[in-house]
Amino acid sequence: MNNLNLYSRGDRLFVIVNMILIGLFALSTLYPFIYIASLSLSSGFEARAGNVVLTPVGWTIEAYKRVLSEPMFWISYKNTFVYTVFGTLMSLAFIIPGAYALSRPQLYGRRFWNLMVAFTMWFHAGMIPFFLNMRDLGLLDSYFGIIIGFAVSGFNIILLRNFFEGIPQSFEEAARMDGASEFQVLWKVFVPLSKPAIATVALFCIVSRWNGFFWAMILLQNEDKIPLQVYLRQTIAELTDDQEFASTLLTANYSVETVSAAIIVCSIIPILLIYPFLQKYFSKGILLGGVKE
Amino acid sequence: MAGVSLDGIVKSYGALRVVHGIELDVAEGEFVVLVGPSGCGKSTTLRMIAGLEEISDGTLTIDGRRVNRVAPKDRDVAMVFQNYALYPHLNVAENIAFGLRIRKEPKDRIAESVDEVAAILGLTDYLERRPADLSGGQRQRVAMGRAIVRRPKVFLFDEPLSNLDAKLRSQMRAEIKRLHNRLGVTSIYVTHDQVEAMTLADRIVVMSEGRIEQVGTPMDLFLNPVNTFVAGFLGSPPMNMVNAVVAVRDGMAHADFHGQSLPLPSLPGLEPGRKVILGIRPEFATLAATGVAVEIDLVETLGSEALIHATLGGEPFVIRHETIGHVPASTGHAHFAVQPGLLRVFDAETGMALPGQTTAVEQAA
Amino acid sequence: MTHTPEIEGNRTEELVLQAREAQRNRAASRIQRVGDHLKREWQLYLLLLPTIIWLLVFLYKPMYGLQIAFKDYSIFRGIEGSPWVGLEHFQTLFGNDQFLRALKNTVIISAYGLLFGFPVPILLALMFNEVLNAWFKRVAQTIVYLPHFISSVIIAGIVITAFSPSAGIVNTILGWFGVDPIYFLTKAEWFRPIFIGTGVWQEAGFQSIVYLAAIAGVSPTLYESAVVDGASRWQMMWKITVPCILPTIIIMLIIRIGNILEVGFEMIILLYQPATYETADVVNTFIYRQGIQGGQYDLAGAAGLFNAVVAFVLVISANMISKRFSRTSLW
Repeated sequence: MNNLNLYSRGDRLFVIVNMILIGLFALSTLYPFIYIASLSLSSGFEARAGNVVLTPVGWTIEAYKRVLSEPMFWISYKNTFVYTVFGTLMSLAFIIPGAYALSRPQLYGRRFWNLMVAFTMWFHAGMIPFFLNMRDLGLLDSYFGIIIGFAVSGFNIILLRNFFEGIPQSFEEAARMDGASEFQVLWKVFVPLSKPAIATVALFCIVSRWNGFFWAMILLQNEDKIPLQVYLRQTIAELTDDQEFASTLLTANYSVETVSAAIIVCSIIPILLIYPFLQKYFSKGILLGGVKE
Repeated sequence: MAGVSLDGIVKSYGALRVVHGIELDVAEGEFVVLVGPSGCGKSTTLRMIAGLEEISDGTLTIDGRRVNRVAPKDRDVAMVFQNYALYPHLNVAENIAFGLRIRKEPKDRIAESVDEVAAILGLTDYLERRPADLSGGQRQRVAMGRAIVRRPKVFLFDEPLSNLDAKLRSQMRAEIKRLHNRLGVTSIYVTHDQVEAMTLADRIVVMSEGRIEQVGTPMDLFLNPVNTFVAGFLGSPPMNMVNAVVAVRDGMAHADFHGQSLPLPSLPGLEPGRKVILGIRPEFATLAATGVAVEIDLVETLGSEALIHATLGGEPFVIRHETIGHVPASTGHAHFAVQPGLLRVFDAETGMALPGQTTAVEQAA
Repeated sequence: MTHTPEIEGNRTEELVLQAREAQRNRAASRIQRVGDHLKREWQLYLLLLPTIIWLLVFLYKPMYGLQIAFKDYSIFRGIEGSPWVGLEHFQTLFGNDQFLRALKNTVIISAYGLLFGFPVPILLALMFNEVLNAWFKRVAQTIVYLPHFISSVIIAGIVITAFSPSAGIVNTILGWFGVDPIYFLTKAEWFRPIFIGTGVWQEAGFQSIVYLAAIAGVSPTLYESAVVDGASRWQMMWKITVPCILPTIIIMLIIRIGNILEVGFEMIILLYQPATYETADVVNTFIYRQGIQGGQYDLAGAAGLFNAVVAFVLVISANMISKRFSRTSLW
C-alpha cells in the first residue's frame, strides 16, 4: 500500500501534489513564528522600515536586552511559573480523586454526580456572576484566587473518569481482597495504571495556566501579581502609544516591533520545551474525552 | 474447620433475582467446582463468597463465622481472577507481595513469603520481570502466587484458565490440582468448562438459571445425573437423548422409539404409554452385530477412538468407539447395544431422572 | 357466616399490623444497607467531596447569582438585598443598539467561522492521510498542531505586528505591488477576515485530529480490495474515506452549530478597538465592557443570562441530535 513504485502515474502525481500542498500549509503555519523570531533579532531601524521578511536584518540582541532588563518581566515570569505549577497541582488534587469516585459503579447517585459535572460543560453562569462570586469570596487580587478558582474543569474530570472506567473492575477487586482501602486502590493501583491519562490532564492544565490571560487581567489589580500574558499584553499596548518610549527609539537600536517580538519569543519558549510531551499525549487525550458525553 | 457454608443465599438486583437460595456446604480442604452455562449465577455466587457482591438474603459462613456483612479483606479468602488482574506497573515479586504490603507486614517476612511462594510455583527466576514480559502460563502462576502468599482459609477461582490456549490449560489444570493436594486449602472454583470441573473437583456443583441442579462427585454426576440438564452438560460429547414410550412385553419394560426398542431396567412407575427420555452416553453405546440401528453420517477419528456421528430416527446420535487399529466405515448402517444398567431414564415432561435408578458406579465397576 | 365481624376486624387489624411491620423491616433494612454501604465506602465519598464543593462554590453559586439579571443590583446591597425589577434589564437590552449589534456580530462571525473554518480540518485530515512518507507526515503534523497551544495574547501580538501599517510584513508585501499601507486593525471591514483567518490558522491543524482518528478507524481491507479493483487514490479518498468519516463530520458539524454563540471573545478583546466595534463587538465583549469595565453588573448579567440560556438550548439540542444521529449511523 505504501510503496510509491506500485502506483499508477496518476496516483503518483496526486501523491506528490498533495505532499506539496501539505508542505505549503505547514510552512504558512510556521512562517509567522519565523517572522517574529527574525524581527526580534533585527535592528529597530530595519524593523520599522519593514525590511524584515524572513531572516533578521541588522543582527542585534538589543531588544532582548531591553526586555530582560525590565524587572516586571521577571516578576511576571515568576508569577506565571507559580500559577502554572501550583495551579496544575491543585487541579490534579481535585480531578484525580473526583474522577476516580465518579468512575466507581458502587457510588450511590453516580448518575446524579456525573450529571452535575457534565452540566457545567453545557451551562455556565457567565462572566459577571463568576466575577461577583470571586469578589464576594474575597479572591480578587490574590494568588490563591487564581490558583483555586480555575482548578476544576468538567472536561478534564470526564476525560480521566472515562479512562478510569476503562480499567478492568478486577484490578480494584483484587486490591480490595488484598485489603486495600479506597485510598490505597486509587493511589497504588489506579494512579500508576493511568499515568498517560494523568499526564494528558496535567499537560492540558499546564498549557491553560501558562496561556491564561483574560481572568488574570480581570481579577488581579496589583502589578506584582500579574502573570506573563497580562504583562505581555500591557507592554504591547503601551509600547504602541508610549511617547516616552518612542523618543528613546531615536537613540536605541530597537523598536516597538522588535521589543514586542522579543517578549513573544521569551514567552513561547516554555511551551515549545514541553511541546514534545504535549504531542505525545494530547491526541490520545482529546479522543478519550470526546468519545463519551 | 475452615469450611464454607451457604444457607439460602440469594442475589437480586431490584426485582430481578439472579441467584435463588443456594444451599451448599464445602468441607475443609475440599475442592468444589461450580459449573454451568454463562449466566447461571455461578460467578455471582463466587463473588458473594468473596464479598465483592452484596448478599441479598441468606447466610454465608466461613470457618463457622457469619460473614454476610464482613468486608472482603476481613474474610480471609483469596481470589484468582479470570484476567489475573496483575498490576502492570509492578514486577512479579511486588505483585505477589502487594497484599502483604497493604497489610503492613514486616519487610523480611514479606521477602521470605514471596521467595517461598515463588519456589512453589517455579517463579524464582522471574521475580524481577513485569507482567507484560511473562507468558500466559507464568502470569497465571503469578496470579495464584498472589493468592497463596496470604495463606488464606479459602481460595476462590473465577474461571482462571479461560484465557489460556488448550495445551496450556490442561497443563495449568494439573498444576492447580497438584497445588491443592499440597496445600490442602479449601477451594471454590468457577468454570463453564465441564472438563475442568470433572478433572479438578472433589465435588461438582452444577448450576443453571441461578439454582443448583445437582451436587456430587464427578463420577456420581457423570453416571447418575438427576435430570436431562446435568446429563447434557457433563460429558463430552454429551449424553444422547432419545424420546421414547414405555411398553411392557413379556412382563419386561421396554422403551420404544422410531420403530425400535431397548429393554429397560426394572424401575417403579414404568407404566405402558409413559413418555420418557432415554439417556445413552456415547461411551456406553457399543457397536454390535445386532441392536439399535443407526444411520452413520460422519466418523471423526481421534486416534485411540473414533466418534461416530449417526442419526437415529432423524435425530443426531453419537457413539464413542475404541478403535484399536480399526476405524469403522464412514457410511451405511450400524448397530449398537447398551447395557440396561447404563441407560438413564428421564421423565419426558419434567426432565427428571426416574427414581430408583441404582448408582451405576457399582455396576460399571 | 361462621365468624363475627369482630373477629374479622381483628384479623384485618392483624394483617395491617403485619404489613406495617414488614414495611418497617424493609425500611430498616434499607437504612441498614445504606449504613453498611457508607461504612464500607465512606472513603469514596470523601474523595468526591472536594470536587463537589468546588463545583458548588465556583460554578453553581454563580448560577444562583444570575438573579441579578432581574434585580437593580448594587454592590452595597449585595445580590440578595437588591430589589427585584422584573424584566426591566431585558427590555433595556433589546432596545439597546449596541447589544443588538453585538448579537448580530456574534452570529455573523460564528457563521463565517463555520463556513470557512469547518471544511479546512477535514481537508487537512484527508490530505495527511495521503502522505506516504511517515517522517514528512510527522513533521508537518507537529507544525500544524503547534499554534493551538500558543496563547491568544501571543497570537494577537503576532497579528498586530504582522498587520502593522509601518513595519508589518503584510503591508511590506502589499508595498511590493504598489499598494499603499493599510491600517488593517482600525478598519471595520477588515476585522472579520483577519479574526476568522487567524482562527483557522490557529486551530485547523488541531481540529483535524478528530478526523484523522476517524480515518484511522476505517478498515485497511477496504482500501486493499479497492486497489485490487483498480481504484485510484483520488477515487479511494472520495469513495471510501469520505463516506466512512461522514458520520464524524456530521456530528462535528452539529456540535459546531450548537456552539454558535461561543466566539473566542478573548481574541476579540485583544484585537478590536472602538473603530472596529461595528463589526467586531460580540455579546461577550459587550458584557465585558458594560459589566467589568462599566460596572453595570445587572445589565451585563442579563445579557450573560440571555447568552447562556440560548447557548444551553442550542448545545443540548445539538447533543441530542448528534446522539440520535450517532446511534443510527455510527454503530
